[in-house]
Amino acid sequence: MALVIAFPLINAVITSFQDQRTIGSPAEFVGFDTYAKVLGDSAFWEALGRSGIWLVVNMIVQTILAFATALLLQRSTRWSRAARTWIVLPWVIPTVAVAVVWQWMLNSNYGIVTQLFRGIGIDLGSPFGDSAVALIAVILVNSWHWFPLSAVVIYGALATVPGEVLEAAKMDGAGAWRTFWAVTFPLLQPVLFALALVGSLWSFNVLDTIYLITGGGPVGSTTTMPVYVYDTAFSAFRSSQAAAASVLTVIVLGIAALLFVRFARPKEDS
Amino acid sequence: MTSLTASRRSGRTLRHRLGAVPRVVAWIVLSVIVLGPLYWITISAFKGREEIIRSTPTFWPETFTLSNFEQLFMSTEYPVFLTNSIIVAVTTTVVTVFVSLAAAYGLYRLKVPGSGKIAGIVLLSYMIPGTLLIVPLYRTLAGLELIDTHAGIVLVNVAFTAPFCTWLLRGFIFAVPREIDEAAAIDGAGPTRTMLQIVLPLLLPGIATVAVYSFVFSWTEFVFASQFIVSDALQTLPIGLSAIIGQYTVNWGLVMAGTLFTLLPTVVLFLFVGRYFVGGLITGATK
Repeated sequence: MALVIAFPLINAVITSFQDQRTIGSPAEFVGFDTYAKVLGDSAFWEALGRSGIWLVVNMIVQTILAFATALLLQRSTRWSRAARTWIVLPWVIPTVAVAVVWQWMLNSNYGIVTQLFRGIGIDLGSPFGDSAVALIAVILVNSWHWFPLSAVVIYGALATVPGEVLEAAKMDGAGAWRTFWAVTFPLLQPVLFALALVGSLWSFNVLDTIYLITGGGPVGSTTTMPVYVYDTAFSAFRSSQAAAASVLTVIVLGIAALLFVRFARPKEDS
Repeated sequence: MTSLTASRRSGRTLRHRLGAVPRVVAWIVLSVIVLGPLYWITISAFKGREEIIRSTPTFWPETFTLSNFEQLFMSTEYPVFLTNSIIVAVTTTVVTVFVSLAAAYGLYRLKVPGSGKIAGIVLLSYMIPGTLLIVPLYRTLAGLELIDTHAGIVLVNVAFTAPFCTWLLRGFIFAVPREIDEAAAIDGAGPTRTMLQIVLPLLLPGIATVAVYSFVFSWTEFVFASQFIVSDALQTLPIGLSAIIGQYTVNWGLVMAGTLFTLLPTVVLFLFVGRYFVGGLITGATK
């Protein structure tokens, strides 16, 4: 693990201070020049901004879907019990399959979803080919792929809320909505906190879904930070710039994570 | 008095029924969202070339045909990709189970000095963005002469699955009471025997969880395989499939057949051990 994670990390930092182009080619030490180049590249900032949108919208969509699903799973009906197995299926499907099936279902000519929407008079056009909506379309596909995992974790956390506590809240005359916000939600906070932290990092780093569906396009409208780094390294062959962008991103992520831990961590004593 | 109770009761059941409406709607929406695409892949794979692109879609194939599968296995490189994926996924799973079991047992069961710190680092390493490591990883593997080998891709896969799996096993190991160790020691069992014969069988659900996770991870892994494997003959399924799509974009039936076979192993595996897995994930996450 030291070999495959720690060493590359150090290597990335070293590379970022050089002027290497194709990976492994000889390079000279240039100090912060590469960083200056990356910081001056408007594509870097655009990718960072897009990653921000990607992260926030993904988290919102997935949290809503996951919470609704978890509340459904929690019931003890036959449907709920059966669903606890199949609900995770989108998550175990290979990303390449996810990408293919959504491209097929949203195909502007033959796609089933396109045709169903056309049936009720809405023209979807081709969502992945339209730079105005491509990012949102890919976010929705990614949310479809990942929400089951959060749903299952939240469901597991819900199961740990003691029944007597909920019973007591009901006795005191609290409605379902109030019980949820006043009792269930605070008890879930530690799990939600961990889920938000790990989930955000996972979500930020999604590359394959975007790459397989749109390849970062059309006209760069879905180029998030991982896509930017990937393209810089393997299409533009500027490995030092890619490394510098990686290091900068890790720093941004680290600060964001620290702030999140500092301000959102559930209080131990309350 | 009686009629009042009766009317109140009927009012309650009516409200109860109406109250169920949103839930039923939610179930329908959820089922369609989750299972709909899977259903669509499956039936599309069995449709003929003409039927699949008809302007009014058929929700059940009019004529079942296996021609898509025939073409997939006879005239594309698909069987090669499938074999490669099986090799990589199985090796990764076996190695990950060994590594994470040894690590988790050592960290959380035996009293290794500094194990708390090591456990923290293990989790921390998982937080490091994988995709941003592609470039330096490429250099590392090149240095080890592991570019374009299955061993290289297995090594990378294990490095990314093992930390999370170690952490997942924590919950399972804590669930095995320590008194069992002491009882075994009194009965004269050494530490190795205690681990292999007593604790290990109790950890089987945990091991199943870890095995499923690492299998699914390496079976679906795209980014590293696409860069670290160069020759077509060594390529895994996700890359192979996307290449097939590029070649046969018009032939959606063929593409769907390929997609179906790509997702089948993970889905089947999951239907067998899914219950353990979901349970395991919950145990791991909530403890």
